[in-house]
Amino acid sequence: MATIAERRLSAPRLEPWQDPKAAPYVHIERVTKKFGDVYAVDDLSLDIFQGEFFSLLGSSGCGKSTLLRLLAGLEYPSAGRIFIDGVDVTNVPPYSRPVNMMFQSYALFPHMSVEQNVEFGLKQDRLPRRERAERVGEMLDLLKISELRRRRPEQLSGGQRQRVALARSLAKHPKLLLLDEPLGALDKRLRENTQFELVNLQERLGITFVTVTHDQEEAMTMSTRIAIMDAGQIMQLDTPTAIYEFPSCRFVAEFIGSVNLFEGKIVSSDGDRVVVDTRLGRPIHMRSFLPHPIGTPVTVAVRPEKMRLCQEFREDGVNQLKGTVEDIAYLGDVSIYRIRVGDGQLVEMTLTNIQPRTEQALTWEQEVAIEWSPTSGVVLTE
Amino acid sequence: MTAPPTHSHRLSRLVNIGIPYLWLGLFFLLPFAIVLRITIAEPALAQPPYTALWEWVGDGMLQIQVNLQNFILIWEDDIYLAALLNSLWVAFICTVFCLLLGYPMAYAIATAPERRRMILLMLIILPFWTSFLIRVYAWIGILKTNGLLNNFLLWTGLIDTPLHILHTQSAVYIGVVYSYLPFMILPLYANLTRLDPTLLEAAADLGCRPFRAFLRVTLPLSMAGIVAGSMLVFIPVVGEFVIPDLLGSPGSLMVGKLLWTEFFSNKDWPLAASLAILLLALLVVPFVLMQRLQTRIEEGPA
Amino acid sequence: MKRRSWPLLGVLAFGYAFLYVPILLLILYSFNESRLVTVWSGFSFKWYGELLHNRQLLDAAWLSVRIAAVNATVAMILGTLAANALTRHGRFRGRTGFELLLTAPLVMPDVIIGLSLLLLFVAMQQTIGWPDGRGFTTIAIAHITFSMAYVTVVVRSRLARMDASLEEAAMDLGARPLTVYLRITLPLIAPALLSGWLLAFTLSLDDLVIASFVSGPGSTTLPMVVYSSVRMGVSPQINALATLIVAIVALAVIVAGWTMRQKPDRAQKRGA
Repeated sequence: MATIAERRLSAPRLEPWQDPKAAPYVHIERVTKKFGDVYAVDDLSLDIFQGEFFSLLGSSGCGKSTLLRLLAGLEYPSAGRIFIDGVDVTNVPPYSRPVNMMFQSYALFPHMSVEQNVEFGLKQDRLPRRERAERVGEMLDLLKISELRRRRPEQLSGGQRQRVALARSLAKHPKLLLLDEPLGALDKRLRENTQFELVNLQERLGITFVTVTHDQEEAMTMSTRIAIMDAGQIMQLDTPTAIYEFPSCRFVAEFIGSVNLFEGKIVSSDGDRVVVDTRLGRPIHMRSFLPHPIGTPVTVAVRPEKMRLCQEFREDGVNQLKGTVEDIAYLGDVSIYRIRVGDGQLVEMTLTNIQPRTEQALTWEQEVAIEWSPTSGVVLTE
Repeated sequence: MTAPPTHSHRLSRLVNIGIPYLWLGLFFLLPFAIVLRITIAEPALAQPPYTALWEWVGDGMLQIQVNLQNFILIWEDDIYLAALLNSLWVAFICTVFCLLLGYPMAYAIATAPERRRMILLMLIILPFWTSFLIRVYAWIGILKTNGLLNNFLLWTGLIDTPLHILHTQSAVYIGVVYSYLPFMILPLYANLTRLDPTLLEAAADLGCRPFRAFLRVTLPLSMAGIVAGSMLVFIPVVGEFVIPDLLGSPGSLMVGKLLWTEFFSNKDWPLAASLAILLLALLVVPFVLMQRLQTRIEEGPA
Repeated sequence: MKRRSWPLLGVLAFGYAFLYVPILLLILYSFNESRLVTVWSGFSFKWYGELLHNRQLLDAAWLSVRIAAVNATVAMILGTLAANALTRHGRFRGRTGFELLLTAPLVMPDVIIGLSLLLLFVAMQQTIGWPDGRGFTTIAIAHITFSMAYVTVVVRSRLARMDASLEEAAMDLGARPLTVYLRITLPLIAPALLSGWLLAFTLSLDDLVIASFVSGPGSTTLPMVVYSSVRMGVSPQINALATLIVAIVALAVIVAGWTMRQKPDRAQKRGA
């Protein structure tokens, strides 16, 4: 996971969101959107920078689609303001915004051919015929759908429709492209290929992408930054790696991937090293960059793949636990083990299946010892 | 989509809501006010044949004439009340028969294989497109004393003397059920096709026999369709004119026919208007029932 | 899993027989030589000949067709506007009253609509001098008033089923609301507009009661002529007329069915 995003992170230059002098391309200022009594977006502020591949991630009903529609102008905020490229577009209707959107259903016009669909936006700008034809050809070539130009949407496969929708929304050369679940309607294999294509396209064209998705894997692979949303608010806004490795709260930790949570209290704090007393019967040693006063209630979050089998168990060993294997889920590449530890809590551990399954070390009811390093987890206060 | 605060949106509201509203207000709502006003006028040998509601009687005095005679007449003369009651009764009986025949038909069509369903439905709608008057007329030839039905029954030997059906209440029942059956079947069909077939499979899986499953699952879930179809039949039939006129007995009393006679034969416009108002008052309750349901169906899950 | 139940199929067959036998008999006896519908005396086209020479009936039919065409066109426009209002403008003020006014004509007995409109026209003539006498215009207005409600039902259900994101996509691509409506919405609901038009046309062609109230001297519609001749007793000319109507409707249905069946085939061929 996080391959493409990491490749980008390793670039030596300063990312725009780290640069205090950089002007945001999209500036959302304390926006609220109410439907009746329901707050779909609740006092939300957000900056998105030029060239970003930005993802809004959350479960259904978290407000991510509403936020996207607010950017497109398909909804108008109940309060707050939206700026795009420095211009206040809060009350600008969708047809006057320099923004285009790719709809989840693709919304291809069924009574027009592929070519006419792509041309539609250009016609609205009253571009001369020759220029339109040129631009349509360029878009169809870019998405490798030139041979489909005379077809109608009903004669296209799901993947082809997605390309036409993308071509149509890119035809006007928008500075900002909004994508609502761009891969949602594709099957799994197609989705993986298309992910990479989308990212390459975005890098090549230099357009700012904002996508909405409920698929965390998709968000992790493609995005420069991810905003995790819940109940109309942003829970965490960061790069995919940071969100996975350093979730800021329990909600994010549990939302992304799986995680083992140990509740307890800080009993000692020394520099970036803390000791947490839990019901496990032994203290947990963790690294934490935030200062924690003694007695603070905290939750220690450790991902299952950070757990490993303990080679030599010592009574005073750091973060070592004994337990019995209760469940094994064989997923092919990895297996997930659920281990009942001292106080009765179930701890999840993921191990890569280096050996064939028949030769695996662990079986049900087996007594094991597990451990993790103080640096491979986070201490959460909320 | 939320309302964009634009000029064009306001214009579109004005056109889309304003024009139809204005038309219906002028040609549908306003007439009722006028009908109401004429019910309290007296018939007169004039053109139009009723007295004015107010008159200027010298010195700028305004004289308003209110005449409740029409309603008193309707109340005192048994013929009008009998006609109202009989109309309700005929409409009720016909609605029941339409339901008894229409429900199994709608059910059979809704459960037919997809390909055949459209053809079966088309065959229900098709008679709509041929003249209603002519279809009622067809029954005269069939039900006459020396008509096709009697000839057929005599030929088969089932009866010895021809049955007297035309110009009886039974002929009205037959004519109404025949004409209004599609109005019952269409909403029922629409309702039954929306029914999730896995519900019946689930019921069967839980040990429910088909007929019981129908009673416990299908029937309650199709209640909206039953009420909608029933109202579509009941309300217009109460005021039906053509069928009782052509197929019913000359003495049979239906309020629609009575209204027609008062208006065209007796030229008593105020009395006809009073009958219209009474008929309207009778239909308010079933109409509100239907309207409620309609809103629920339109706003409910498709 | 589907087992056909014989009693159900029996009821279905009976129902269709009930609906169609009268029409078939009507057609059959239009070719009967005798004036009596009860006795078959030989095949003949003579009633069609008489029909085509019935000046009064032909004039009435021509008037009815013209009224129906005007009615269908205006009702289609008004009904579509009303459907737009109901599906596109959410909960505007007076919506309940609006819906009430659009549902009532569907079930309102004809005698009430006819009588009340007549009284309106009389009152209007007295106060503002328009309409001057009754005839084409008054019948058309009356028919539009009740048939627009039917058009609204048809167009509304099509609009409600339309994917709202199509219109949003057009707007997102820079089309203003009017352009969106003309380029996207209208083409997509065109079939519903057509069926609404046809429905309004038929309703108008079919109406006896309302037209009787609001027509004036010299404007006799086809149903009015048919009615007076039916009141006189059975007339084989009416059978011939019925046959012609059935033939026209059947032809229209076959053509419509044929074009609909052609479409997917073509799509498949091009798709392959």
